[in-house]
Amino acid sequence: MVSEFWGLTFDGIVVGSIFALIALGYTMVYGVLRLINFAHSEIFMMGTFASLGVVLLLGFTGFEDPLPLMSFLGIFLIVILVAGIASGSAAMLLETVAYRRLRRKNASRLSSLISAIGASLFLTEVFRIMTQSLDWDFPRLISKDPIFTFSTAIVSPDKLVVILGAAISLFILDRIINKTKLGLGIRAVSQDERTSLLMGVNIDQVIRFTFLIGGVLAGVAGSFYVLFYESTKFNAGFLMGISAFTAAVLGGIGNVRGAVVGAFTLGLFQQYSAAVLGYNWKDVITYIVLVLVLLIRPTGLLGEAMQRARI
Amino acid sequence: MSDRLLEIRNLTMLFGGVTALSEVNLHVSEGEIAALIGPNGAGKTTVFNVITGYYQPTSGEIFLSNESIVGLKSHKIAQKGLSRTFQNVRLFGDMTALENVMTGADSKNKVGLVGSMFGIGTSKADEARSHAKAAELLNFMGISHRAGQLARNLPYGDQRRLEIARALALEPKVLLLDEPAAGFNPQEKVELGELIKKIRDAGFAVLLIEHDMSLIMKISDRVSVLDFGQKIAEGTPKEIQNNQRVIDAYLGVADHAS
Amino acid sequence: MDRVKSILLFNLRERFSVWWENSSRNQRIVFRVVLIAGCYALPYLRNPIIDTPQSSFDSILFYPLVTFVILSVGLNIVVGKSGILDLGFVAFYAIGAYSMAILGTLTNLNFWEILPIGMGLAMLSGVVLGLPALRLRGDYLAIITLGFGEIVRIVAINVEITGGSQGIYGIPTPPKIFGIEFSVTNIRPYYWLMLTFVLLIIWAFLRLTVRRPGRAWEAIREDEDVAELMGVPTLKYKLWAFILGGAVGGAGGVVYASQVSTITPELFKLNVSFLILACVVFGGMGNLWGVILGAILLNYIPEKIRFLADTRIVLFGLLMVLMMNLRPNGLVPRMKREKVYDKKTGNEVLR
Repeated sequence: MVSEFWGLTFDGIVVGSIFALIALGYTMVYGVLRLINFAHSEIFMMGTFASLGVVLLLGFTGFEDPLPLMSFLGIFLIVILVAGIASGSAAMLLETVAYRRLRRKNASRLSSLISAIGASLFLTEVFRIMTQSLDWDFPRLISKDPIFTFSTAIVSPDKLVVILGAAISLFILDRIINKTKLGLGIRAVSQDERTSLLMGVNIDQVIRFTFLIGGVLAGVAGSFYVLFYESTKFNAGFLMGISAFTAAVLGGIGNVRGAVVGAFTLGLFQQYSAAVLGYNWKDVITYIVLVLVLLIRPTGLLGEAMQRARI
Repeated sequence: MSDRLLEIRNLTMLFGGVTALSEVNLHVSEGEIAALIGPNGAGKTTVFNVITGYYQPTSGEIFLSNESIVGLKSHKIAQKGLSRTFQNVRLFGDMTALENVMTGADSKNKVGLVGSMFGIGTSKADEARSHAKAAELLNFMGISHRAGQLARNLPYGDQRRLEIARALALEPKVLLLDEPAAGFNPQEKVELGELIKKIRDAGFAVLLIEHDMSLIMKISDRVSVLDFGQKIAEGTPKEIQNNQRVIDAYLGVADHAS
Repeated sequence: MDRVKSILLFNLRERFSVWWENSSRNQRIVFRVVLIAGCYALPYLRNPIIDTPQSSFDSILFYPLVTFVILSVGLNIVVGKSGILDLGFVAFYAIGAYSMAILGTLTNLNFWEILPIGMGLAMLSGVVLGLPALRLRGDYLAIITLGFGEIVRIVAINVEITGGSQGIYGIPTPPKIFGIEFSVTNIRPYYWLMLTFVLLIIWAFLRLTVRRPGRAWEAIREDEDVAELMGVPTLKYKLWAFILGGAVGGAGGVVYASQVSTITPELFKLNVSFLILACVVFGGMGNLWGVILGAILLNYIPEKIRFLADTRIVLFGLLMVLMMNLRPNGLVPRMKREKVYDKKTGNEVLR
């Protein structure tokens, strides 16, 4: 296992990058709404299919010669854009249909959670029926031959695209959160909704925007996912969602930086433990991490104190 | 000392970087109506939250009938004789008024789940006791006619009374009332004052948070004043009324000793 | 439309409530006896209107109908009555089923001996899960229960004694009782067996609900913090809810495994927990009769209208979203009968 260390580490970073983009959606929505958006995993899944759709529409079948780098980047940029827009819109629609009314009515946490679960079930099943439960392969657009290797780490172009793409996305997100008015709104509402309202923040707009950003990131994550794994399925959201959610919790749910830290930590941990215990235990490990974090340190690695209702 | 039912010494409560309470000393003696007043945010409700076990105090001592209750779970503290009402009425909305009060009365019963299911042991007697106690308290508070109605359908005034009835069902040594007069008109406040005195006369000591000064003046035996988490004055209502420091605190004079 | 529907439903319900209030003790006993006898007689009912196209009506009665009824009633104690969102309820069911499967195939114990063991194991797992988990807030608790359910399933896939992903086959049927034989071909006795359990659980639940436990659970659901402050030992009662839920789920699992004779981990996926939850939500959280009605409707209608069966889960998901948004109290809302009390004695006035 020691010899595989670099290979596992590098792959852990790749996977962690994808987790991070999805985890942010969970954590930001939780930050502003105190709601676990169960259906976020399906937003991601839709992003994977949107990416697939674009590529198929553009005429790729996977039997062409690999594209040169610049062409590939150009095409992939389009893919990311479409996926981002698709998922972002879907996320906003989700908020409107499944959550907004409950928020207005000040419904209980239980109701919102059940609505979230219902939405998740609905979307998963709709896609299951549409895709006939099949695996859909993503055409290989560029060669996956490694550019170089470092010990056991195989550095291929797709992995680099994922890592760099995620880094750029995170940078853009950071600018949005810290430099724009809406970003400020998100931070304010996450801290204290009532005061934000009193300070004139348009809560509805902030919430819609939060869902939008989370959705876009998930869509982008979907593009990276199909690029790396080269296929997708109706339930692709489920396992990725659990991992991403665990990452968000691990880092401290509601904490943006925490989501990123948690994502990479979990990505690495998954790779190492799979190597040691066997690949089929990977999912259990993730669940166990989730359960343990919630039991032992629910605030996560970087999290703020869990809010308690004030009497 | 021995007639002090509730004794709070050097109570300090820190939330992260915020000092909500600092070295607060309070007590409630048998048969008295004590009041706790202070500007908004002074920490009055926090005192209630800490002594009822909702928060663990950062430091300090709390005694109920000379028994330390720091670190006990809330339901244990309630069973030992400290119950309260809330600033925003918090009833069990989907339960009837009678059931709300019975829930409080249940805490004095011994029967557990298995006993209830099979109807063995003291379950029948306990059930009857809870029922009778609840009915008695609804009567005492003047809302017997609401017994079968859902708590959330009750008019505001009756809801407040119900909350008090529920708290009394625990047979507390000290009853904590958090702004019981909020939202009442002057006539209702007068009635409430009489009610609180009636409660005191029935043998319960009362610690009361209130903003309505006339009510405080009329019914309290002793008043303590909090500001920014510290006790700044204590005495009879008359003394407090004329205390300069208290007046300054309410008017928000800029120079506050921290 | 919704208002029309609720008026119709309410009329039925109102009329029934009024009749029930006004009926004598004997009338009520007769009603109950007739209803229960009718339930037992259901397998003999042969009518093209109620018959289901794909599988036999008998078979449907057992699974999914009465099986989901029992599971829904169990989950109702946890979610509906106490407000604890348990997303891993299928785990109790699985533990019961696997107990029957493993002990049935590896030991000489028969169904009746395995039943308490299976229930006991499920209850124990409820405690093991509950002790740490129930101290947490709603969302976190929900996620942990989900994790628990999944861990149980994945362990079943990966461990030898549970037969891995192939599962266990050849689970024995229960031995003869009261002259009734349980065979692979005749499903009726299983239905009666499960129905009997359902009735027992309903009895127990009704007893608990009008007494202290019922009040404690409702108080916990309405406002857990305040319940604790009003002297309700919330952790203890939440644990009890879990334990009872476990007992019910476990019993259902044991009976199911003994009928179906082969079980695989596929049967205990997360979706099943959600489906049971859908029944509780649809029927009316906390309301026993509503939940039973919900379980019956949600499981019978897809069998009757076949095209619905394929899109079943889609509809369930949609249903959950719609119910929460439009009719959160369920089909049969938790309407407390506003009772009348005698002013002097405080006793309930029975007319």
